[in-house]
Amino acid sequence: MSSTAVTWGLAKRSLLLIPRMPSTFFPSLIMPIFLTISFAGAFSGIVNLPGFPAETALSWFIPMTTIQGAAFAGVTTGMGMARDFESGFYDRFLASPASRSSLIAGPLVASAARALLPFTLLMVITIVTGTDVPGGLLGILSLAIAAVGVGLVAGAWSVGIALRSKTLEAVPLIQSGMFLGFFLSTAQMPIELLTGWLHAVARVNPMTNILALGRQGYLGDVTWATTWPGLVSLAGMALALTAFAYAGMRKVIP
Amino acid sequence: MSVAVAQYSGLSRRAIINTFRQPRYFIPSLLFPLMFMALSSAAFQRTTDLPGFPATDSFLQFLVSTTIIQGALFSSIAAGSAMATDIESGFFERLIASPVARTSIVAGRVMGSLVFGFLQSWLYFGVAFAFGMRPEGGFFGMLGVATVAAVFSAGVGSIASSFAIRTGSSEAVQGAFPLLFSLMFLSSGFFPRTLMHGWFQDAAGINPLSHMIEGLRYQIIAGFNLGELAVSLAIAAGFFAFGVSMALLALRRRLTST
Amino acid sequence: MTVPDPIVAEGLVRRFGTIEAVAGVDLVVRPGEIFGFLGPNGAGKSTTVRMLTTLLRPTEGTARVAGFDVVAEADQVRRSIGVALQDAAIDPLMTGRELLRLQAVLHGIDRAQANERGDALLETVGLTGAADRRVGTYSGGMRRRLDLAMSLIHEPQVLFLDEPTTGLDPNSRFALWDEVRKLNRESGTTVFLTTQYMEEADELAGRIAIIDGGKIVAEGSPAQLKAKVGEPTLQVTVGPNHDTLPAEQVLMAFGDPVPAEPGSVAVRLAGGAAQIASVVRALDEAKVEVEGIELHMPSLDDVFQQATGRRLEGAEGAGSADSEVTAVQ
Repeated sequence: MSSTAVTWGLAKRSLLLIPRMPSTFFPSLIMPIFLTISFAGAFSGIVNLPGFPAETALSWFIPMTTIQGAAFAGVTTGMGMARDFESGFYDRFLASPASRSSLIAGPLVASAARALLPFTLLMVITIVTGTDVPGGLLGILSLAIAAVGVGLVAGAWSVGIALRSKTLEAVPLIQSGMFLGFFLSTAQMPIELLTGWLHAVARVNPMTNILALGRQGYLGDVTWATTWPGLVSLAGMALALTAFAYAGMRKVIP
Repeated sequence: MSVAVAQYSGLSRRAIINTFRQPRYFIPSLLFPLMFMALSSAAFQRTTDLPGFPATDSFLQFLVSTTIIQGALFSSIAAGSAMATDIESGFFERLIASPVARTSIVAGRVMGSLVFGFLQSWLYFGVAFAFGMRPEGGFFGMLGVATVAAVFSAGVGSIASSFAIRTGSSEAVQGAFPLLFSLMFLSSGFFPRTLMHGWFQDAAGINPLSHMIEGLRYQIIAGFNLGELAVSLAIAAGFFAFGVSMALLALRRRLTST
Repeated sequence: MTVPDPIVAEGLVRRFGTIEAVAGVDLVVRPGEIFGFLGPNGAGKSTTVRMLTTLLRPTEGTARVAGFDVVAEADQVRRSIGVALQDAAIDPLMTGRELLRLQAVLHGIDRAQANERGDALLETVGLTGAADRRVGTYSGGMRRRLDLAMSLIHEPQVLFLDEPTTGLDPNSRFALWDEVRKLNRESGTTVFLTTQYMEEADELAGRIAIIDGGKIVAEGSPAQLKAKVGEPTLQVTVGPNHDTLPAEQVLMAFGDPVPAEPGSVAVRLAGGAAQIASVVRALDEAKVEVEGIELHMPSLDDVFQQATGRRLEGAEGAGSADSEVTAVQ
C-alpha cells in the first residue's frame, strides 16, 4: 500500500527535477533533435546501398535516435541516485521504513517515463519533416513501446551501477555501458549490410531486435514476426537488469 | 630571456604531467574517439562501395584522420577543464601573484595542448595500424596529420582556456563541448561530402573543419600532398590564432578586473 | 508493563578493513532521556550512530533500538526512529515543503496527515515562511531546522541527532538546543545526540558517554563526571619570554600538574579553590613574575583529559592546515 506511494513519490521527485536542472534539461531536448539532423544529414547516402531497407535517411534514423534518446534519458535516473549517495541524501531513504523494492521501483518508473520526452520530440520531427510512417498507428505504438522499454532497461542499468559505486565516479561507466549496448547493434546500419566482428556482435545483441521493433513502422508494415523478438528482447533485458539493480540494493548497506 | 623559456617549458611540462595525473579527465577523451572509430569503421564498411565514395582501402583508413581531430577536440576541452579546476582551487591566483610572466601562464597550457595533440595522433595511428590500416602517404603523410592536429589542439585548447579564465568553472568549460561536437558533425568528417544532399551538404561545405579534415584525409587515403596539407595547416593556424587571442584577451580582462 | 530501553548496545564493534572505528561500545539509553555521545573528530561517534540507525552493519556485537534488533528487525527500527545526520543532507532543488512531504511518503503517512503534521512542524521550527522556497536558498541554520522537522514527521520514539550544530552560528545553535529540549519535554521523545562540543553535551544531555578511539572512556551525568574530576585547575601564565620552571616548582607543592598552554603552568589544586591565596603568596615569595592567574572549575574537557590524557577541544585547527598544503601542489 505505502509501497505504491513511495514508488510514485520517488518517481515524481525524479521527474520533477528535470525542469529544475536546466543543465540536463536542455541537452535532453536538443540532443535527440540534433543527432537526428546530424545522422540523417551526414549519412543520407547510405540509403543508396543495394538492399537498404529504408527509402530516406530520416525513416532510418528517426527511430534510432528516439530509442537512443530514451536510453540517454533512462540513465540520468541512476546518475541522480549516485549524486544522492554522494551528498548523503540517500541515507534518508535507507534509514526510512520504505521497502527496498519501492526504492528501486520509483526510479525505474521515472526512467521509463522520461523516455517519452525524446519520443514526443521525434514525433514532432516526423510530422514536420513529412516523414512517412507506412506502419501507421501501430508503427508509432511499436516505437513508443521500444522507447519506454529501453528507458526502463537503461534506468535499471544505471541504478544497478549507482547502488554499487555510490559515487559520481560511476557515471562514465554508466554512460559507456549504455553507449556500447546501444551502438554495438544495427543502430547505424542494417544487419544485412554489417560485416566482420560487428555483424557477429549485432546478431546476439538484444538491442538489434528492439531496434527492429521500433523501426518497423517507419520501414513498412508492422508484422508479428518483427514484433515478438523485440518484445522478448525487451522483456529479457528488463528482467535481467532489474535483477541486477535489486542485487545492488541488497548489498547497499555495508 | 632564458628565464622566460624556463617558465614556459616549466609550465608546459606541468600542464602535460597534470593531464596524465588526472585520468578522469583525459582517459574518456582519449578512449571515446577510439571507440567511435572502431564502431563506425565496422558499421559503415560497406558504404565504401557506394559510387562517389573516394577511393579508399577501408572505412577505417577514411576515418582515422577525423578520429585524430576528434581526439584533439575532446582532449583540449579536458585541458580547459583542468585549467578551470586550477582556477577553482586557487592555483591560478598563486601563479598571478608570482613573478611568472603573465603570458607564460597561457602559453604553458597552449604548449601542453600542442604536445599532447601531437602525441595523441601517433597513438591513434598506432591503434589504426594494429587494425590493419596503412596510410597511402606513408610516414610524411602521418607527420603532416600529426602536425596539423597539434596546431589545431593548441587552438582549441586556447579557446577552452579562455572559457576557463572567463568563467572559472570546469562545468562551464565542459558545457562548450557539445557546441564543438556539433561542429564536427556538421562537417564531412564522418562521411564524404560528395554523398551528402541539400542544405546539409552546403553547410558541411562552409564548415572550415570539413576542409581541414579533407586535407588530412587526403594524406592517408591518397598520398602525401603538400598543397592539401597546406590548406589544412592554414585552417588549423586560423583556429590557433583565434584561440590564442581569445585566451590572452580573457587573461587581460581577468587581471585588470582584480 | 515495562517499556523497553530505547537503545541498548552490547559490544558494538565496527571495522573498516584493518581500522577499528568502533572497538566495543556498550550503552543503555533510558526512555525519555537526552543522551549525549561526546568525543573528538574520528572518535567513532558517527559510525556508532550509523550502526544504531541501520545504515551500517556491526562487525561484532548487537544493538536493540526501540526494542528491535538493528540487523534482524531493521524495518521495525526504521519505523520507530527519526534521523538527522551530519551535514543535514537535503536536495537543494526541492522546497522545504516538498522534502517534508517526501519524508512523510517514505514513512507511509497519508497525504492529509502529512500536510497537517508538516505544517505544524514547519511552524515549530520557524520555517513556515520559507517552506515553499528551494532549500538551496536556505542558510545552514535553516537547513538544520528543516532536517529536524523532517526527522520528526512520523513522531518517532527515538530521535538521533548527529552533530546537529556543527558549523552553526551561536544563535542558531541556541535555537536548536531550545527545540530539542522542548521536544523532549513535551513529547517525551528519547534523544540520542552526538557532538564534539562539550558545551552542547553539558547543556542538553541528562547523561553522557565520552568516546575516544572507538571506546567509551567515561559515562554518567555531566554533574557526576565533573564531580569525579573534583578539584579545580589553576593556570599561571608567565609569558612567552620567561622560563616556566620557577612557577612549576612553586605549584608542584599544591597539586598534580596538568597540560597547559605554552608560557603557562597548570596544576590541579589538591585543596580546592580556597588554596588560591596560598598559591599567590608562594609565588610572590619565590619572586616569580606572573602575567596572569586563572582558576578553571572542572569541565567535561577536564573529564576527557583525565580519561585520555588529551584535551577535547582545540584539535580542530590542524585539519584546515592540511588541506592548505595539498592545494599548493
